[in-house]
Amino acid sequence: MINRIKKNSRVIRVLIGLRFQNLMMIRLGFFGPFFVDGSLFLIQLVVFQTIYTEVDRIGTWESGEMILYIGTFSMLNAINMLIYFFGVIGIPDKIKSGEMDLYLTKPISPLLRLSFEKINLGSFPLVIMSAFIIVYGISLGNIQLTVEKIVVYIFWMLIMSILYYDLIVIIRSISFFVISNSNITRVEEAGLELCMQLPGIVFYGVYKFIFYCVLPYGILATIPVQSLLGELKVINAIYGIMVVAVFTVITCVIWKRGIRHYNSASS
Amino acid sequence: MIGPNGAGKTTLVKMLTGIIAPTSGKISVLGYYPNDLKNEFKQQYAVVMGQKSQLFFELTAEDTLRLFKEIYGIPEEEYQKTKNYFINLFDLKDLMNVQVRTLSLGERMKMELIVALLHNPQIIFLDEPTIGLDAVASKQIRSFLKEINEKRGTTIILTSHYMDDIKTLCKRSIVINHGCKIYDGDTEKLFEQYQKNKKITLTFDLPTELPELEYELELIEDSPYKKVMMVSKEKTSELLGWLMKFSPSDISVEEEEIGTIVERIYMEGGRAFA
Repeated sequence: MINRIKKNSRVIRVLIGLRFQNLMMIRLGFFGPFFVDGSLFLIQLVVFQTIYTEVDRIGTWESGEMILYIGTFSMLNAINMLIYFFGVIGIPDKIKSGEMDLYLTKPISPLLRLSFEKINLGSFPLVIMSAFIIVYGISLGNIQLTVEKIVVYIFWMLIMSILYYDLIVIIRSISFFVISNSNITRVEEAGLELCMQLPGIVFYGVYKFIFYCVLPYGILATIPVQSLLGELKVINAIYGIMVVAVFTVITCVIWKRGIRHYNSASS
Repeated sequence: MIGPNGAGKTTLVKMLTGIIAPTSGKISVLGYYPNDLKNEFKQQYAVVMGQKSQLFFELTAEDTLRLFKEIYGIPEEEYQKTKNYFINLFDLKDLMNVQVRTLSLGERMKMELIVALLHNPQIIFLDEPTIGLDAVASKQIRSFLKEINEKRGTTIILTSHYMDDIKTLCKRSIVINHGCKIYDGDTEKLFEQYQKNKKITLTFDLPTELPELEYELELIEDSPYKKVMMVSKEKTSELLGWLMKFSPSDISVEEEEIGTIVERIYMEGGRAFA
């Protein structure tokens, strides 16, 4: 087990090195994501500014808490863009083109290699920007911080990054079984867009079921923010951990079944 | 492994390497069921697909090798030794730090082979390794593979459409058509029994008309400056001697294409099945 971790760490290190070299060859590829994501980020902030000129609060959260929520979601998104997003979104194409063949024949997890081979350092400034928004939200909402709250918040951020990763991988792994997964990625985009703007606390009934259980984007940033605000109930914390565990198991099962279901493509 | 397009050669390689699972029957390679995708099994073989590259096009071949060193967990000393052995064998010293995209197809295939052989596999699966290569590059690749087989004891399982690849490299041939094995045996015997004709192409500087030919042959092309004919291999040298009287400017004698041989084996029901 330890040897495996050591080997994986060495491979990840080399993949990061190679990716860095590759990105420096194509400067636009290096800075492109920063401009694209930075623009989306600013649009989102403008939308919230506009909303808060008309209303005082969304659910029980006022503008400070909402800005903290936006910063938290943006941070999760930035971590996703920085580390695994660009590798994982290539899975359907690799399945269709038969490029997956070369990943399956190497003595290392194909998913590990795919997840870390397209690390995008161009997204790093987004992490910094998100951190600024979080700090701004904390100061605007006059949120009292303690070391314990910060540690718990970081813990939840790590846990929710895993959930975000699970959701992205599950949706891409569907390509092992179907010809096109474009419809499900549209559902993913719509769900993400909605949950980036509305925290989980505003969902009730069927919407709560969808965004807490089926596509749990509703808890991604909500639980970390609730933990920082001191509003997270034990039952919700247990639920959050359970959702991440269940989705991680589902990811492993779908991926393992997927690679055995893989048909390759004719050369 | 020989067979026409769509015969199932690549599919068989994919099953042997675990990329796809067989829909029925049993399969065992080195004692493993390939589609279990066990790392211990993957550590013992390599696969090179002529139409799929494992090199990073924007980087150098050295960079790709560095990644594969870590993937296969090769110790630094062994890595340097093996790498240098292949660099010298393939004469690629000056190309290791060149961007892969700027390399020729032949040079790229040599790099692919180094990447595949770096961990000293017991078996190497080669799916049409000489596809698209010119005669010189193909010949070089064949001679390297022969040396690797003889000196390092690596078993080579090769699929190819090219007669030269098979004749130079393979002692044993398996002919496949429509997913079925129709011949499995000695390569020399295969060609002895089923390669019945040779194709002779003659070109002339002046318009030439051949008289009524005394030989039993099939005239494929008959224009004033060029004649192409198919004749039984026993009669080839005799016919060539006779044709020399017409002073051709160029002569070429080619083997029958693999597709024709496969078709013949298929028609004759694979009687020489060993």
